[in-house]
Amino acid sequence: MITQEIKITNRLGLHARPAAMLVQTASNFSCEIKISKEAVQVNAKSIMGVLMLAAEYGSSLQLQCNGPDEVQAAQAIVALFENKFNEDY
Amino acid sequence: MFVMKGIAASPGVAIGPALLLPTSDFAISNQYVEATQVKQEIVKFQQALTKALQDLDASEQKLRQSIGPEYANLMSMHKMILQDPMLKDATLSKIKNEHLSAQSAIFLTLKDLAGVFDKIEDKFFKERRNDIFDVGKRLINHLDGDKSSFWQSIRQPSVLIARDLYPSDTLRLPEHQIIGFCTDFGGKTSHTAILAQSLRLCAVVGLSNAYRQVQNGDTVIADGENGLLIINPDRYTLSKYKKIQRELKRTESLLKTINHLPTVTADGRAIKLMVNFDPRTDSKENKKLITDGLGLLRTEYLFMNVPQPPTEEEQYQTYLATAKKFDMRPVTIRLADLGADKQPDFPLDEFDKDENPFMGCRGIRLFLKVPELMYTQLRAIVRTACEVPAQIKIMVPMVSSLEEMRHVRAALNEILAEFEANGKKPINKIALGAMIEVPSAAIALDGMISEMDFISIGTNDLIQYLVAVDRINPEVAHMYDPCHPAVVRTLHQIIQTAHQRHKSVSICGEMASDEKMIPMVLGLGTDVLSVPPRMFLRVKNRIRNLNFEACADMAQAALLAGNSEDIRKLIEPNTDEDS
Repeated sequence: MITQEIKITNRLGLHARPAAMLVQTASNFSCEIKISKEAVQVNAKSIMGVLMLAAEYGSSLQLQCNGPDEVQAAQAIVALFENKFNEDY
Repeated sequence: MFVMKGIAASPGVAIGPALLLPTSDFAISNQYVEATQVKQEIVKFQQALTKALQDLDASEQKLRQSIGPEYANLMSMHKMILQDPMLKDATLSKIKNEHLSAQSAIFLTLKDLAGVFDKIEDKFFKERRNDIFDVGKRLINHLDGDKSSFWQSIRQPSVLIARDLYPSDTLRLPEHQIIGFCTDFGGKTSHTAILAQSLRLCAVVGLSNAYRQVQNGDTVIADGENGLLIINPDRYTLSKYKKIQRELKRTESLLKTINHLPTVTADGRAIKLMVNFDPRTDSKENKKLITDGLGLLRTEYLFMNVPQPPTEEEQYQTYLATAKKFDMRPVTIRLADLGADKQPDFPLDEFDKDENPFMGCRGIRLFLKVPELMYTQLRAIVRTACEVPAQIKIMVPMVSSLEEMRHVRAALNEILAEFEANGKKPINKIALGAMIEVPSAAIALDGMISEMDFISIGTNDLIQYLVAVDRINPEVAHMYDPCHPAVVRTLHQIIQTAHQRHKSVSICGEMASDEKMIPMVLGLGTDVLSVPPRMFLRVKNRIRNLNFEACADMAQAALLAGNSEDIRKLIEPNTDEDS
């Protein structure tokens, strides 16, 4: 299992478009992917789950991948956050 | 006869039998099924899921072609919710373990999910609860069996009465003989209202409980001009409305005959008449109008009902498509006037604790605090100017000081230099002007106008700020007075200051299309009027029948008047007290 800390650096946080991108990316992998903010943990393949986090700019999240392709999954998801979901700012 | 007051969402008058759109009752009591039926319920749920997805696919495509990507993106969000494992797993487990019917299971799952979103404080995330219920209604509709049998049962032109309408339902109204509609929910700028305008269907929304008051087959009048729904009108009212309907039709066809004629007064004073263009409600009829250009493109809508601000590319595509429609004519794009009553859904710290938003961080004030929003919009506009022959004019909202104009000018010059470094240049020089709507800018205009290539008076807000009246507040709304001497004198002062510096003045507020106020506006010396497309021909007709000299004399008299009553008498000398 891989656990990693992620910080939200795009100004608008995990809003509709980034949330949708995250879910689409996560759904490409077969491993179990969980994301948590403080005490709330959700399935990263669920759009409602991701939106429920209400994760705003500057908040930090815990990423947890568990399964055969966990390494690739974690890489892909971390890259999304690092590229600020291709947003301008 | 029973009259209900709602909101006029789309103009026109529709008279016909009422037709109630069946609703799926959402407060379903828990229904349980026999253990042997569980499998069947699971199949029912899965079929509804597939059908709802197909349904969304179809509306997504239709919307993408007819209205644009905005609404289509909403549909793709709904598709993701439908496919969400949380929704599916929770519903299936309720059917399997608790033997709930598919319908009850879906409803309870949605309620649980919505409950979580209710607790979130952030406005954007909280409102996703509505998306969840929209999707749920769709699912339950499919469990109920299709609504298509309802649509096919319509035998005569009817007025549709509904609690609320999906955009996808609204789009199919004309092909099913619906001549107008009334809903309990919705506002003037709701998706449904905008669609109704582009479909040229008369609509009244926000009626609260029309659905309960009306019965199938009742004769109803939907008055989209005044926002009324009249149920079972008496003979007098019915004949009055039939007359109004005929007159509306006749005026429309009469007005078309003056489209190609110049906008000049009877004594030969030429006025430039432009349109306040909205790409969302562009229609065949609007395309036929021969205008002097685009006087006001409001861009706030691009920033509203979306989770994040539009990208440069998205804005560029909108501006480009719009500017192309005006060939060589001027195209005035107003920087987004966000704030006050136009709050975007995406979070901006600048709006927090804004207890008096009309006096707060709106328009250019917000843009200077969040410069990335301004830079993105300016870049999209400059890119457009490099592609089209039309003269692009940028209008800055809520200006109250010289510094603000200088900041925008500096940003624009910086971007122009960037473009030039890449070998790109606007085809026509971009003009930068201001919307004059804050009293301080109006009064001290002489000190600021050197930084403005043109000015446009936003009468709605200028009047509101001059008389300190919030038009939305019913206690004081009647004091909002375009005939107040302060208003007339301020307009005069603005126009004189601009003309001394050889700069043109346009008016783009409601005053420009108010047939009573047009003589005053012209008499004060306005060069350009910009009006909504559906008022365009009415205003042109009014101008062509006016005598400019008489208007100017009337304006002079109004400047000497000490109260609104005297000015009103000048405007309407023949007011018939009985009518």
